[in-house]
Amino acid sequence: MNEIILMAHVLFGVACILTAVWVFVDVLNANQANLTRIRWLSRAAAVFMWLAFVVGGYWYVVFYSADKAIILKGPWPFAHNYFMETKEHLVIILLLLATYLPIVTANNLVESKEARRLALWVAALIPLLGLMMEGHGAVIAMGVKMGLLANHQ
Amino acid sequence: MKDAMEKSSISKNTVAFGWSLALCSVLNALLVIVKEKSPAVQAAMKKMTGHHWVTHAAVIVALFLVFGWVFARIQDGRSPVNKLIKIIVAGVVVAGALIVGFYLIAD
Repeated sequence: MNEIILMAHVLFGVACILTAVWVFVDVLNANQANLTRIRWLSRAAAVFMWLAFVVGGYWYVVFYSADKAIILKGPWPFAHNYFMETKEHLVIILLLLATYLPIVTANNLVESKEARRLALWVAALIPLLGLMMEGHGAVIAMGVKMGLLANHQ
Repeated sequence: MKDAMEKSSISKNTVAFGWSLALCSVLNALLVIVKEKSPAVQAAMKKMTGHHWVTHAAVIVALFLVFGWVFARIQDGRSPVNKLIKIIVAGVVVAGALIVGFYLIAD
């Protein structure tokens, strides 16, 4: 069951990244025809991020201690000491950015060039930070694998 | 011509929550350093919700909402957007650098 939770965390995280990229591209071409879609996609990015955060947070609080012990006894202790420690705190900034995106896109992006510029910056920061989080997650998973392999040999 | 016709304003909430985002990102990083350096703070945070990270996240999200609400009532929403973008990007970059630097070097 906890593997399903972990995969759901990754799935929602990827969905947030892809949705934010879609918002970025749509804002580059903002017009009356796509304004409603931009706003709905922004809300979707925020919802995906909150789902990734809550699901991942639940897994972290309930199940991570076993993985942490394996990582720290294995050859990649930095997978916890650096990657998990930074990930669990950087992700809070990502959560705030995703929550802020629908507030920005609620402005009239068609008429306001400045609102478009702000929306582009916020929408760009989300996939940049999100991909960093995905990479951190991959290193953490590899840290568990390395720990298990080391104990198995 | 199109640029000249475009409106330059954004809503008060956009400005207020943008400032709040930048501020709370930095507060998030500072709270990391404080709780990692002070076992008493981390223990108190753990006692509040059962896990220090849950308390940490709840405090930052709550501050984001509170600061956003307060800033929306004390400013007129005329903050230049370029300045707001610089503050948001600076807040995110500084906070990220503090967290990464702390775990890379200081911890």
